[in-house]
Amino acid sequence: MLSALSYGRLVARAVIGGLSQTDSRDYSLVTARCGFGKDYRKGILKKGMCYGDDACFIARHRSADVLGVADGVGGWRDYGVDPSQFSATLMKTCERLVREGRFVPSNPVGVLTTSYYELLQNKVPLLGSSTACIVVLDRQSHRLHTANLGDSGFLVVRGGEVVHRSDEQQHYFNTPFQLSIVPPGSEGAVLSDSPDAAESSSFNVQLGDIILTATDGLFDNMPDYMILQQLKKLKNTNYESIERTARSIAEQAHILAYDPNYMSPFAEFACDNGLNVRGGKPDDITVLLSIVAEYTD
Amino acid sequence: ASPVKFPMLTLLSMFYYICLRRRSRSGTRGEALTSRRAVESGQRAVLPVSVEMEQYAKEVLDFSSHYGSENSMSYTMWNLAGVPNVYPSSGDFTQTAVFRAYGTWWEQCASAPPPFRRTPKGFYSQDYIELGFEEPVYPTAVEVLETYYPGAIVQILACSHNPFSQNPPTDVRWEVLWSGEPTKVLTPQARQFSPNIKHISFPTNLLRLEVNSSLLDYYTELDAVILRGVKERPMLALYKMPIIDISGLSDSEEELSDVGGPFRQGGDGKHQRTGNGYFDKLPYELVQLILSHLTLPDLCRLAQSCKLLHQHCCDPLQYTQLSLQPYWARLSDASLGHLQSRCTLLQRLNLSWTGNRGALTLAGFSSFMKGCGLSLVCLELSCCHFLNEACLEIISQTCPELQELNLSSCDRLHPQAFTHISKLTRLRRLVLYRTKIEQTAILNILTFCIELRHLNLGSCVRIEDYDVVASMLAARCHSLCSLDLWRCRNLTDRGLAELVSGCRMLEELDLGWCPTLQSSTGCFQHLARSLPRLRKLFLTANRTVCDSDVEELAASCPSLQHLDILGTRLVSCASLKKLLQSCPKLLLLDISFCSQIDMRVVQELCGLFPNVAIKKSFTQ
Repeated sequence: MLSALSYGRLVARAVIGGLSQTDSRDYSLVTARCGFGKDYRKGILKKGMCYGDDACFIARHRSADVLGVADGVGGWRDYGVDPSQFSATLMKTCERLVREGRFVPSNPVGVLTTSYYELLQNKVPLLGSSTACIVVLDRQSHRLHTANLGDSGFLVVRGGEVVHRSDEQQHYFNTPFQLSIVPPGSEGAVLSDSPDAAESSSFNVQLGDIILTATDGLFDNMPDYMILQQLKKLKNTNYESIERTARSIAEQAHILAYDPNYMSPFAEFACDNGLNVRGGKPDDITVLLSIVAEYTD
Repeated sequence: ASPVKFPMLTLLSMFYYICLRRRSRSGTRGEALTSRRAVESGQRAVLPVSVEMEQYAKEVLDFSSHYGSENSMSYTMWNLAGVPNVYPSSGDFTQTAVFRAYGTWWEQCASAPPPFRRTPKGFYSQDYIELGFEEPVYPTAVEVLETYYPGAIVQILACSHNPFSQNPPTDVRWEVLWSGEPTKVLTPQARQFSPNIKHISFPTNLLRLEVNSSLLDYYTELDAVILRGVKERPMLALYKMPIIDISGLSDSEEELSDVGGPFRQGGDGKHQRTGNGYFDKLPYELVQLILSHLTLPDLCRLAQSCKLLHQHCCDPLQYTQLSLQPYWARLSDASLGHLQSRCTLLQRLNLSWTGNRGALTLAGFSSFMKGCGLSLVCLELSCCHFLNEACLEIISQTCPELQELNLSSCDRLHPQAFTHISKLTRLRRLVLYRTKIEQTAILNILTFCIELRHLNLGSCVRIEDYDVVASMLAARCHSLCSLDLWRCRNLTDRGLAELVSGCRMLEELDLGWCPTLQSSTGCFQHLARSLPRLRKLFLTANRTVCDSDVEELAASCPSLQHLDILGTRLVSCASLKKLLQSCPKLLLLDISFCSQIDMRVVQELCGLFPNVAIKKSFTQ
């Protein structure tokens, strides 16, 4: 139950933030993460840092806060390749790029391109593929710059409504755009999209805006209204409440994923495409929940 | 007595109190860490001046080589700045600073120049890196975090110049904080290297590390450097430093500009009367032979001893080879000026690493080259950042007989400057590693310098189409013996095929990290069949190298000595065994990160073929 006072505070801040043209305060993202990996063989779920084959990162540099998620394509497991290696290395490389300042906040696609190039510079012969979604908040200009390749994505919620969202990039059903490194000779057989194919967007954010960055494990199991319901529980901008909300969102998605009778967004989309299915979609779930707040050290 | 006692007591107790307080203040040496978080968030800790502070490097300013690609953060020198990423873990990680070479493998190649005479025994440095720190301090300790195959550091120096100041450098002094021999640590594990450093009389925020990896079994990797020091000049009580600064007692401190100073006629008479002892009885050639063993500073000092030895020491026959690289810190236009008159017969000149930060200018360099260029055959100018287009023009005009030119890591040289090299038609060895040479210039050079035997275009990122370069080499440079195309971005099987059909004498070929060569085109097998004399082949990180390629090498290249096939998943133990059996001269085989080859296989192969150094790097 959101108290009138704190809700009022949140609204007042948002309004003031929206009205004042010359808000010279720096913004920042207070971010919490939560997720569940799907344990394929045993049928039980394992909580982990790298949630199953999904990976994510949260990083900051002098002028920007950056988040990212990457959903490792599980199909590689059939060929003896650990799918989480690619997504984890990609996210770790992005994080290092950001920490060392080797990026331009207004060019999140550049973060992906440079990271991908760095993966190829590794002595270790990496194989695998993943989607990627990068979200950058430029602290001073209050602009959010995003890049999305594949079916992971983000939502921006303001005043209880979704005001921005990313578009899914799919080649065909259940085959998202993906960055990959393929074995030599398989270039034609394995899907490999260029980082330049990522869709980017750029818009202003206000204090109090909520940004949810997640892999398709969340979006395929929870429609928007359920997510918004959960977000209403977010009382204030401190880290503990954000973490609690992120956890409840991820948990709910995880429960719904294994509900055989529930008409998930994934099932609905499948039906639209002629596949008669029902139930949730068991998958790795990664949720990064952020609130735009004033920058404090 | 009591009226005297009281004030005395008061005085004494006051005195005692003051002394106690003073002692307690100088006793506490609180260590204020420039913490990791503070570094990351760009903040600076505010410290009282007498406290020891600790800093990580702020920026890498200069270096002689690295393993990684330009603009990359994998295995490149820029990783040495900032906080450590790997330490205390050990392993071959991307986030470390790695030099281009290790061991003696590169010295064994035909492309390696012979060492220069008169190299002083204490000079071991092969590579260097210069680091700038935020705050100038009087150093009390320098710690280097080495995370893989440690032991390469041979010298640590500090500079009086602040590299971040806007003023141009004046009176740049380099002081050796520590120097030692290259070592080899028993295990490749990470370590923190913190030698006892000399205390110096000036504050510094510019350090230089010099390394020698010749004893190491694999590439050394460095993670971070920590500079500990105090802002205020340390007091005598804390450090054993004399007040009067004696600028070092080692030989290397000798000012080369003192050499050949005015020889006073006044003292002459005395020397002539006493004679030169036994030196008068020795034949000229014998004295010359004796002097040929002296290092350059000793030779210069000896010249001042008497007229006879002055004549000997200034004889141009003593200066047919001149290496000024060990004295890079003190070489100036004036030094070159003083040496000029002796260098008329100079054949081999090493000015690598010299002249930076204003020590050498176009005027001094061109004057020297005009004096000694006629006979010059070999010119080493690695990391000479004072060079500009005009200098290269001077070289092309004054050195018509030049056969060897090394411009390795002259990365500030404008692309236009390289056009002058095509006038040096006698060139046999040309090193352009990490330079900005462009397509037209290299094609021009290859058109005219047809006697090239050794060419190094490693990490030349400005060359647009390597297939065209390969084609030109095949057409013009039939004597080509070694070719280094490390990290050449776009060489394909077409260019390679032309190269091996035109340059039949090729013995050494470095195609490491060339991603566009695909084994499925048969290019490697074609290469093996075309180059029976092949002694060195690097196919580092070419993920397409497969068993058929290795088997073809086994069948066609019996003289193979060095092979690097790091990072391929397609090579099995069986084909490696065939290779090791068929190539009896094989000395180096790098199969790091070849996923089919595990440590058990490596041990088996090492047991069967003990003469081969089989390298298997690891990340944990």
